[in-house]
Amino acid sequence: MAEILLEIKKMSKNFGPIVALKEVDLTVRRGEIHGLIGENGSGKSTITSIAAGMQPASSGEMFFKGQPWKPDSMVHAQAQGMSMILQEANTIPNCTVAENLFAGQEDRFSRFGFVNARKMNREADALLAKFGLKHIHGRDNINNYGFEDRKLVEIARAVTDETEILVVDETTTALSFEGREILYKLMHDMAAKGKAIIFISHDMDEILQQCTVLTVLRDGEIRGTLNREQMTAPGAVSEIRKLMVGRDIGDKFYRSDYDPSCSDEVVLSFEQVTTAQIKDFNLEIHAGEIVGLGGLSGCGMHEIGRLAFGVGDIDSGHVKLRGEDIKDSVDAVGKGIGYISKNRDLEAVILEAPIGVNIVQPSLRDLGKNVFIRPSEERKMTREQIDLLAIKCANGSQWVNTLSGGNKQKVSFAKWIAKGSSFIIMDCPTRGVDIGVKQAMYQLITDMKRESKAILMISEELAELIGMADRMIIMKDFQVAKEFTRSPELTEADIIEYMI
Amino acid sequence: MGKTIKNTWFQTHLTDLLSYAGLLLCIVVFSILSKGKLWSAYNLGILVQQTCVYAILAMGAIFIYSMGYMDISLGAQLGVYCLLLILITNASGSLVLGFCSILAIAIVCGLINGYVSVKLGLPSIVTSIFLNAVFGGAQMLIMERLGTNSVSMTTKLKFFKQMPVMLAAIVIIAVISVFLYQFTQLGKHAKGIGANETATSISGVNTTKWKVLAYVFFGFCIAVGALFLTARTNSAGKGTGAGYAMDIMVSLLLGGMPLSGGMRSKISAALVGSFTYVILANGLILSGVNTTLIYIIKAIVFMAVILMTCRKPSGVLPR
Repeated sequence: MAEILLEIKKMSKNFGPIVALKEVDLTVRRGEIHGLIGENGSGKSTITSIAAGMQPASSGEMFFKGQPWKPDSMVHAQAQGMSMILQEANTIPNCTVAENLFAGQEDRFSRFGFVNARKMNREADALLAKFGLKHIHGRDNINNYGFEDRKLVEIARAVTDETEILVVDETTTALSFEGREILYKLMHDMAAKGKAIIFISHDMDEILQQCTVLTVLRDGEIRGTLNREQMTAPGAVSEIRKLMVGRDIGDKFYRSDYDPSCSDEVVLSFEQVTTAQIKDFNLEIHAGEIVGLGGLSGCGMHEIGRLAFGVGDIDSGHVKLRGEDIKDSVDAVGKGIGYISKNRDLEAVILEAPIGVNIVQPSLRDLGKNVFIRPSEERKMTREQIDLLAIKCANGSQWVNTLSGGNKQKVSFAKWIAKGSSFIIMDCPTRGVDIGVKQAMYQLITDMKRESKAILMISEELAELIGMADRMIIMKDFQVAKEFTRSPELTEADIIEYMI
Repeated sequence: MGKTIKNTWFQTHLTDLLSYAGLLLCIVVFSILSKGKLWSAYNLGILVQQTCVYAILAMGAIFIYSMGYMDISLGAQLGVYCLLLILITNASGSLVLGFCSILAIAIVCGLINGYVSVKLGLPSIVTSIFLNAVFGGAQMLIMERLGTNSVSMTTKLKFFKQMPVMLAAIVIIAVISVFLYQFTQLGKHAKGIGANETATSISGVNTTKWKVLAYVFFGFCIAVGALFLTARTNSAGKGTGAGYAMDIMVSLLLGGMPLSGGMRSKISAALVGSFTYVILANGLILSGVNTTLIYIIKAIVFMAVILMTCRKPSGVLPR
């Protein structure tokens, strides 16, 4: 057995009356890619955030490289060799890539108080090349890069030669296939060098492929630890799911029927839509139909979602809801369209606001028809949605930023269910959400179909599209590459070739 | 994960507690320092007169600050409205006509302030700097044309100088503000815009419309404030209104209003803040503090409040 790198003994963490971790023991050895899996709120991120210095534990001990370990900050932890990459974006906007990479170390490049930008850019390019990120350049403004590239820059910033443990916290949901490959390669390289990775993900396939050890958590307790053999044994997946959820949810959590029929009524139509990048795009979505839109992250599917909501400039053509042009987001919501943005924390919910405020926000214009908005109606609407979606919270006045990722996502669903929108655009609706919540959301989407709502589901997860959509449109380079109809025979392999 | 924390009552009401404690502290300290003069019948009248103007302006300003915006044209607008109110009322003999005129101008300015900043994509502070310059210039121009240092009301506005009337005005404006703020789309969307404008607009809220309406209500409050300020001083000149924009900002901060706006904004900040500020300013004078020092003391208070309420610990992770 390899040397122990990090040892956690009887660690507990309370947030007021709520217990997030109960006397957890965890051992990470050199050369391990140690997976942590569990539902939202099971304590995965709590463990790693304590180990990486984001917050202190309530009780318990930690040993890192054989020494007692009590980091006071993430900066301190990183200097000692414990780095962490998070789910949400963490780069500094309006700066160059090089400035982001070397933030806090400008002294290395300065003489007489002037930073030698060329030297910094050169070193940045060399560093990026080391990570296989040749398409990113140190001198460019970070804003010119998409979410995924910014995430990769963050990875390059977090990992140094001194890094002993790298915590990857649900980072891969932000990455496309290529980005993931780069990260996996980095993880395996580090493990081969005798370092260790703690890998948090909701994606079971990814966990099973990448990890050498897997620890399953539920309700702040460790429910099981599996080695490589146990992970690859037949039936391992359902076993792990059972450990996570505490009950057998089976393999099927997508729609069970394979009936792609829907009404003839066209709800949304794209007619010869042309923008700076998209050329002559046509699409019709019918009442009671789930249309899945898939492809690589830069294929234009997210842009289509925004256009369907009336956001973005159209050069020619029309986006119409039941035959009427959609002017802007105000008009779109008025016509019964709902939009769940991929960028949840910045666009889909107001973090710094109570759950209730978020849920009623799109509906205020209906409630306020006679100027006066009855607080009792707001409370009723909030309570109904919290119950319907089983949002884990104390009450509707709890702030959204105190909720776990899955529950935040439930709030962004609740907004449009409360509003009663007849057409809902979902951009990566299950991003960063655990299987328990995922199952609930798929059920919800199925129910929406049954209520004759039209749904445009944009997703980077093919399994989800295959499992849920009546019709699947695969995009490549801002064009439709292929269309598939719902069928039990359809597999990911059939689709991938049209994406790349 | 696991962050299902329910903030304790103490944490959520910390800024409220601080602002009420500040008001209480001011009352206690200045009651002692002024040897009770703070509460003499004469001074009480002055306190109410001052608070009346401040509170009305502050309640209008809350709607702007809730959106995370600032307005620095308030003082110059106030000055011009006071002048026009006097000139029009003197010329026509009708206070109603005078007030309606400035109300109309104030509302039009609100429209411009809101609409221009949205349409040109300018930060609202820029348009308010512009309006500040325009109104400052207008004030100078009017005084130059008149060739005097100040103009006075020919008929005194005794009615608006009575204590019950002023208190009633505070109450009426407060009731209107609370209604608009808590029970209509205007207040809810103003807070939403301050907390996250993108998410609010994606929820289908017409942010332009509500921004403009917030400025219109602000304009209404400035016009009413101008009426009571004129009633108090009975005259207006080059310096009328100077310093009000800053005073209102400090008042709001003292009342616990976050500068970034958002969901923690509340009307009570305007009331508590303007009371605190007036007692502070008035108490300092009564306590015999040199008037030249008062500005410096106000500045220190301003910094102290900012440090207590707005500072955030932050740092950058090195590579």
